[in-house]
Amino acid sequence: MTDQHPALVLRGLAKRFDSKVAVAGVDLDVPAGSFYGLLGPNGAGKTTTLSMAVGLLRPDAGQARVLGYDVWADPVHAKGLLGVMPDGVRLFDRLSGAELLAYHGLLRGMDPAVVDQRAAELLDVLALTDAGRTLVVDYSAGMKKKIGLACALLHGPRLLVLDEPFEAVDPVSAALIRDILHRYVRGGGTVVFSSHVMEMVERLCSHVAILAEGRIKRVGTLDQVRGDRSLEDVFVQVVGGRTATGEELSWLSR
Amino acid sequence: MAVAVTPPAGPARRVTAWHFVRLKLRVLGNNFRGQGRRIVLFVVGVLVGLWFASSGFLLLAAPGLAGESRYALLTAAFGGGLLVLGWLLLPLVFFGVDETLDPARFALLPLTRRTLVTGLYAAALVSVPVLATLLTASGLVVTAGALGGWAAALVALVGVVGGLLLCVAAARAVTSAFATMLRSRRVRDLAAALLAVVAALFGPLQIVVMAAVRRADWDRLTGAARVVGWTPFGAPWTAGLDVAEGRAWAAALKLLITALAIGALLLWWSRSLESAMVGAVSTGPARDRRGAVGGAVAQLFPGVAGWARRDRFGVLVARECRYWWRDARRRTSLITIAVVGIFVPVMVNLGGSRFATGSGDAFGEAAANSSPALVSLSMVFVGVLASVTLANQFGFDGSAYAANVLAGVPGRLELRARMTAFSLYVVPMLVAVAVVLAVLLGHPAWLGVTAGALLAAYGSGLAINAFVSVLGAYALPETSNPFAMNTGAGVARSFFALLSMVSSAAAAVPIVVAAALLGDLWRWLALPLGLAYGLGAALLGSYLAGDVLDRRMPELLAAVTPRR
Repeated sequence: MTDQHPALVLRGLAKRFDSKVAVAGVDLDVPAGSFYGLLGPNGAGKTTTLSMAVGLLRPDAGQARVLGYDVWADPVHAKGLLGVMPDGVRLFDRLSGAELLAYHGLLRGMDPAVVDQRAAELLDVLALTDAGRTLVVDYSAGMKKKIGLACALLHGPRLLVLDEPFEAVDPVSAALIRDILHRYVRGGGTVVFSSHVMEMVERLCSHVAILAEGRIKRVGTLDQVRGDRSLEDVFVQVVGGRTATGEELSWLSR
Repeated sequence: MAVAVTPPAGPARRVTAWHFVRLKLRVLGNNFRGQGRRIVLFVVGVLVGLWFASSGFLLLAAPGLAGESRYALLTAAFGGGLLVLGWLLLPLVFFGVDETLDPARFALLPLTRRTLVTGLYAAALVSVPVLATLLTASGLVVTAGALGGWAAALVALVGVVGGLLLCVAAARAVTSAFATMLRSRRVRDLAAALLAVVAALFGPLQIVVMAAVRRADWDRLTGAARVVGWTPFGAPWTAGLDVAEGRAWAAALKLLITALAIGALLLWWSRSLESAMVGAVSTGPARDRRGAVGGAVAQLFPGVAGWARRDRFGVLVARECRYWWRDARRRTSLITIAVVGIFVPVMVNLGGSRFATGSGDAFGEAAANSSPALVSLSMVFVGVLASVTLANQFGFDGSAYAANVLAGVPGRLELRARMTAFSLYVVPMLVAVAVVLAVLLGHPAWLGVTAGALLAAYGSGLAINAFVSVLGAYALPETSNPFAMNTGAGVARSFFALLSMVSSAAAAVPIVVAAALLGDLWRWLALPLGLAYGLGAALLGSYLAGDVLDRRMPELLAAVTPRR
């Protein structure tokens, strides 16, 4: 049944923290096989939206469906199809890279032999084999992102949800992650990721949604959203930021 | 709107301790904003603190009010000494220190070490325990005033304030030094051993006190009090009494001793503070490039969990086992259990009498004094103490728990695996305690009684703490200091720990009652029944609490994720 359904459907997702509305009703349709970029300024509600979509944060209202399965009503099926790399969340970082992968694999009920084989491959491709038995807590920021991605990919999910996968990643690792994600989408997978790196989004995505103040402001294929302008221009216009400073801060120059 | 380009106007304004105090008050206040539960817990904590402080006050003021100068010295020297000792050891073993103002946050500011230490020190003085201690110790002022008039009261007040400063300085210096040691991988195990020794000091101390009390030899006791009065432990508290006895020079000298001790402690603190500030940045990656042996799965399972099946339950157990050893915070708890678990029952059951008689016939008399019910009671305490470590078991994980939420681990499985992993370390320790105690008492036949009570209490404690850990979880700060807690968490931590200890002890009552009522028959029934009781309680607890966990996994994750 999973093939006729969109990879991810969000309907009216809303979340309020104390008095602040973080997400004010988000609707989103992510077609299967798409490479979907969720853009937004800091504090727009990207992390909150994605957390509710994958089952980490209970929404006040709304629905999230992964390939037809409701994340909150039928979590077992939905979570089985999902691979997630959350942002701002620690890994079980007192394990080495290989141990962490083994943990994630067995926790999802995989066969130990398959876990061993895939873990070795992932560590090799992501150039983490050199780290040996170094604990993840001692990894660099880029290495942590890579091992996080490996954990999300290990069980072969149909939908990959990545929160800020390119933050704090050096260009070499970023290129590596990009290649892996491209291969994953070509192989029939779907990727949803949040970012505010315009260049990366323009290069990778087939679809884009711009989120600001907890609402979707623009949504569609990359060409629909940007029209004949650059994505950055559209983004700044939609978000309503200022592009240049005036007379203030003059004391910065001597 | 333009601002003229000007150089900074003169030298920067001086930063004083007052800034730190205001910062701490502000952080405390912001922490309560919109957090009804925290405010309630805080108020409860204050009330409990007040209650204890008032009892302490009455105790220390009693000799003065009754006009008994003989007891005055004893209560001042020993009561005050206990206060200092408590401030010195309790943060290490049980409670941790309030790191509302984390020294590492100040690393980038252009502050001298002196400004920083005095500032953090002043901020540390703004806390409920400090106020409670002040209230307690002011009983000494009343006593000194009643016995020696206004001058004595005034000196006693100075002494009490000095003593309080000493207590806080001692707590800060010691925890900071230990935290530094525990951070460094090289001396970490040495530090752990040292910590064990420190905790072990509780044992001999209590034995000595019990012996002294039983002997009731007032002259010798007074002599001891005089000696203590000349150490930093007793000097600040007894200065007022010296004035009352007409020895002003002694009071002056004692206040000097106090001041010197405070100075030395602050110096020590400022040394370790520096390494705490840069430690977070400069520890550097401890790369371990040694080639891994075997596949990923084989690496994850430690020897102690080697028996486990390579499935979800097994992998949860394996990861927890790794964590109990690799996480400094958890390892510290394990060491505490080991040390306290051995000493408390030994003290309760044979400590006093052995030292009281001072004869070679100690064990015989001790055994005569002890009874299966008393032994069971002390074992219940140990079992409960061991299990209460799990009261915030999800807080140890922090936001890393998200991995389990994403994988949709069933609650019952999760709790059962966590209990199993913890028990792999603790049950052997508990069995050792039971054996040691039975042998020391000279009643090897009581092994069944000790082990049975211990396992029953431990099992029911696991059950209670499964609930507490799901419903009362709170976030621990993400620092490398195993003693650090979040603001306000101190009260919550003590509250939930107390709650779970009382309920766990209540759950184990049937075993103690059985030990008291059944007599000889119990010696044979204790082990199998205790084991069954504990195992049954733990399974039931994981079964019921697992359902609760299934319903509130995201809420639990939010509760243990530190706010930034």
